[in-house]
Amino acid sequence: MKLPVATARQTWTALGAEFRRLPVRTGAAFVTVVAASAAGLVAPWVLGRMVDDIARGASHRQIVHAALIVAGAAAVGGLLTALGSVLVARLGETVLARVRERVVDRALHVPSAVVEKAGTGDLVARAGDDVAVVTRAITTTGPDMVGAVLTVVLTAFGLLALDWRLCLAGLAAGPVYVFALRSYLPRSAPLYARQREVTSERTQALVGALRGVETVHAYRLEGTQLRLVTERSQAAVDVVLRVLRMFFRFTSWISRAEFLGLSLVLVTGFLLVQAGQTTVGATTAAALYFHRLFNPIGLLVFEFDTIQQAGASLARLVGVTRLAAPAEPAPDAPVPADTGLDLAGLHYRYDGGPPVLRDVTLRIAPGERVALVGASGAGKTTLAGIAGGILAATDGSVRLGGVDLSAFGEREVRRRICVVSQEVHVFAGTLLDDVRLARATATEEEAVAALDRVGALGWVRALPDGVHTHVGEGGHELTAAQAQHLALARLVLMDPDVAILDEATAEAGSAGARELERAAAAATAGRTTLVVAHRLTQAAGADRVVLLDHGAIAEVGTHEELLDAGGFYSRLWHGWTAAGTRVR
Amino acid sequence: MEEPLTANGLLRRTLRRHRGRLVAGVLLLCAHQGAEVAVPVAIGVIIDRAVATGDATAIALSVLALAGLFTCLSLAWRGGARLTTTAIERETHRIRVEIAQRALDPRGHTGGLRDGELLSVASSDAENTTVIVRACGVTLAATTALVAAAAALLVIDVPLGVGVLIGVPLIVLGLQRLAPLLTRRGEEQQAALADTGALATDLVSGLRVLRGIGAQHTAAQRYAAASERALDATLRTATAKGVHRGLTSTVNGLFLAAVAGFAGWRAVDGALSVGELVAVVGLAQFIAEPVQTFGFCVQMYAIAKASAGRVAALLGTPLRLTPGDRSAPAAADVRVRLDGVSYRTLDAVSLRARAGELLGVVAYDPRDADALRLLLAGRVPRADYAGVVALDDVPTQELNLDESRRVVLAEPHRTRLFEGSLRENLLPGGDGPDGQLAGAIRAAAADDVVDAHPDGLEHRLDEGGTNLSGGQRQRIALARALAADPPVLVLHDPTTAVDPVTEGLIADGIARLRRDRSTIVITSSPMLLDRVDRVVVLDGGRVVAEGTHADLVDGDRRYRELVLR
Repeated sequence: MKLPVATARQTWTALGAEFRRLPVRTGAAFVTVVAASAAGLVAPWVLGRMVDDIARGASHRQIVHAALIVAGAAAVGGLLTALGSVLVARLGETVLARVRERVVDRALHVPSAVVEKAGTGDLVARAGDDVAVVTRAITTTGPDMVGAVLTVVLTAFGLLALDWRLCLAGLAAGPVYVFALRSYLPRSAPLYARQREVTSERTQALVGALRGVETVHAYRLEGTQLRLVTERSQAAVDVVLRVLRMFFRFTSWISRAEFLGLSLVLVTGFLLVQAGQTTVGATTAAALYFHRLFNPIGLLVFEFDTIQQAGASLARLVGVTRLAAPAEPAPDAPVPADTGLDLAGLHYRYDGGPPVLRDVTLRIAPGERVALVGASGAGKTTLAGIAGGILAATDGSVRLGGVDLSAFGEREVRRRICVVSQEVHVFAGTLLDDVRLARATATEEEAVAALDRVGALGWVRALPDGVHTHVGEGGHELTAAQAQHLALARLVLMDPDVAILDEATAEAGSAGARELERAAAAATAGRTTLVVAHRLTQAAGADRVVLLDHGAIAEVGTHEELLDAGGFYSRLWHGWTAAGTRVR
Repeated sequence: MEEPLTANGLLRRTLRRHRGRLVAGVLLLCAHQGAEVAVPVAIGVIIDRAVATGDATAIALSVLALAGLFTCLSLAWRGGARLTTTAIERETHRIRVEIAQRALDPRGHTGGLRDGELLSVASSDAENTTVIVRACGVTLAATTALVAAAAALLVIDVPLGVGVLIGVPLIVLGLQRLAPLLTRRGEEQQAALADTGALATDLVSGLRVLRGIGAQHTAAQRYAAASERALDATLRTATAKGVHRGLTSTVNGLFLAAVAGFAGWRAVDGALSVGELVAVVGLAQFIAEPVQTFGFCVQMYAIAKASAGRVAALLGTPLRLTPGDRSAPAAADVRVRLDGVSYRTLDAVSLRARAGELLGVVAYDPRDADALRLLLAGRVPRADYAGVVALDDVPTQELNLDESRRVVLAEPHRTRLFEGSLRENLLPGGDGPDGQLAGAIRAAAADDVVDAHPDGLEHRLDEGGTNLSGGQRQRIALARALAADPPVLVLHDPTTAVDPVTEGLIADGIARLRRDRSTIVITSSPMLLDRVDRVVVLDGGRVVAEGTHADLVDGDRRYRELVLR
């Protein structure tokens, strides 16, 4: 399953709607920028007139007069340019900010079913990379682009005002530009895509070798890895040079277009002057007009790739904003009778795969703590996901306090059931902000109390700035155990009815494992809890133990009952406690 | 090999390595700039000689000359740009490979650079170092343009030429006084935008965690606030930029008015033809470009030098290990021997691992475990530890690094998989019979990882194996170590991310597969310890107990408490 990408038309519609929301600013920006560009036409015009005046034997006064007009136009034009670029930037940036906020909002509220199927990779790329591409295009080249487009259009009008034939001569260069772009873009696009590909492959090879240097040394892989880095780097160089050569060939066409336009203007002027239809001054003005187009047209042509990329990214962003908004909970949403969780006849299979869960029925009483034990691949994580309302069972139902989870709506389910998943993520920012994600309205005292409850306050206080220490990406690096501690503190602050803990103590290693188990017990005290046990002590401390085998419940009961029953769990436990009995 | 140790040395080497290509390229770029200067002059000349005179031959010649000029301009640019960019790309490649080679040298480096820093040196610093090529080329080309334009102006009219040559640099320098403000604002804006981008990436990456605690809404609000702050910074920058653009446009326009007025005055006096007037106006506008380019070149040079400094520092870092050149001796009965070894937290530790023995090491302090693993892996310079670490009765520092690593494989504590297929990860050396591989996979209880995908062993892993779960990665890494089948295998907490049922299977698998080899497992897992032949207990850097797991559980209270939890 892939996330949607908007069509060109949908993208334009979405952008148009944003601009229509700011009609006054849009209008003001447009008028000002047009006026600023028009002021730029004055100087060549006046110079052309000056040439004619001099030919006719002008006075010094006329020259001064002309110079003053150019100066006046410069002053007015400068003012309008300043105002225009500010207005354009404000408009563009505001629209951009609204778009990116909506994109991230929608990305964060994507329904669970979509996330589980599409993964978070594409979403991260859209909220991060695509927003960055569009931002760069709008922020750095936006005002220049708008200015360039208007200069080109208005200069054409300026040429027309001089003489329609001179205008036609200048416009004759247009098809060459179009031809050059139309033959270049389709051929360069796949090459640019290839360039991005090989560059990212090169980076991957470098990242892999450098991050894994310990492993590289242990397995004597330095030769293999260096060869890979060299090959990838060489491949990237080859592609980059091919792209550049193609680009340089393309620039020749730009030179040809410039030559064609300029010489046509001069020859046409020559013929018209011969026929007495126009003056030398008008031809001069036309040549100057055309010459001053070199830079803006160059900008437009060379940045065309940026525009295209920004367009593609924008389409991906608009695609995200078109995802359905999260449904608000129905006003007459049913109220659960208690906090007990009923799993009835659950079946699950991934698309076309073998069954992962087979007829799992389990009732977890309010406040009861059930531990899930089983080998890898037994379906523990899948069962936890379904119980937490993140995965939808292929068949069967999950009820909270007698109410089917689907009747609550996603938002309400997430308010009542907390899932601490295998993925551990420390959010960049202060540690306090990280904990407070669970409840934005919580005070610092409440957050600190939550950290204290799970026994994390000791190490938190020892951090450079205590709870105000910057953690996560680019900040103080927390250990895996600390990150899991943090996840449990969030759970406490969120205060849900039901807690689902999946591998919450998995990565801690032996040293911190027990501490985390205590933290998990403290965090889930009094809540209906389903915990995927990673250590048998977690199972021993639970009210009941469920042994899952190949997607079905094999044994269920209290720790003591299962030990007495003498089944697989009991053998497992004896193996763990070194009573000498071998597993299998 | 001659080690370039300074930033300037590295920059000089960069230029020297490609001098042929660079000389030709820079000459062509200079020619291109000369042609650019000639365009406004040509317009003036054509107006003067052809349009104003009505001479048909002149206009025909003019078009031909113009064609020649644009051809030169285009070819010179293409050739120059092609030669210099080729030099840049090839040199970046060479530096990148040199850095990778240095970073991957098995003797290690003492630079103390972290992965992220190494990576940034190998990517952005390598690229920035070669910016020196562009800086040199552009500087010389801009100089050519300036000299050519100045010459043309002075030939046309001396007072006008002098005025333009003084006026343009003054204006460019004056406008550049605004640059620090623009740069500062620009940096604020960049920082705010980068923060916002990083926040979005961070929040969406943690989407599953956010969903688990129902915090999507809070997160979206947090992002909206950051986006609003970035918008404020951007708008402040936009205002500064807009004022700068307006001012630039006004000043350039006023200067043009002055030049046109003065040139027109001189033309009225008969000192200048109309064509020369046109050329002067065109040149006065053009000349600002090379002057601005110089400022840009100074920045490029500074960037290149800073990066070259970091690259040179990395390439010049001393090696960490100084291994000997002895090849591995015949297998002895005691394969690994530590005699009175003190290193970091370890205090006079003596340890023996015999042929065919499965030895468990329990370290109550994780720092002892780390120190022991590093010693066994041969990653510690001789000068850093006291005592003897011997492999088959030969002190490890006397052994050739390839040989000692062939005998001992120490799977790092931090599991690291590579991009590539499962098979490539499991057999990183590229050899080994399938039967042995299947046995290793079974022993590591990793069959389900292979079976989970229709491609089986050909299933592709992302860089770092991020498309597997932590437990899956750990088991694949263990299977990789077992498949390598080294005479001595060192494992450190190999089952921390594995459930107890699977852990039991793995413990059996290791014992079964390593029956005739030497294996040292540093762990506190009772499942693993129960299967080893002998357990050595480290506490406070010393060996405090030794025996079988069962005996220690029975007779050592502290052991029982810490291991059985």
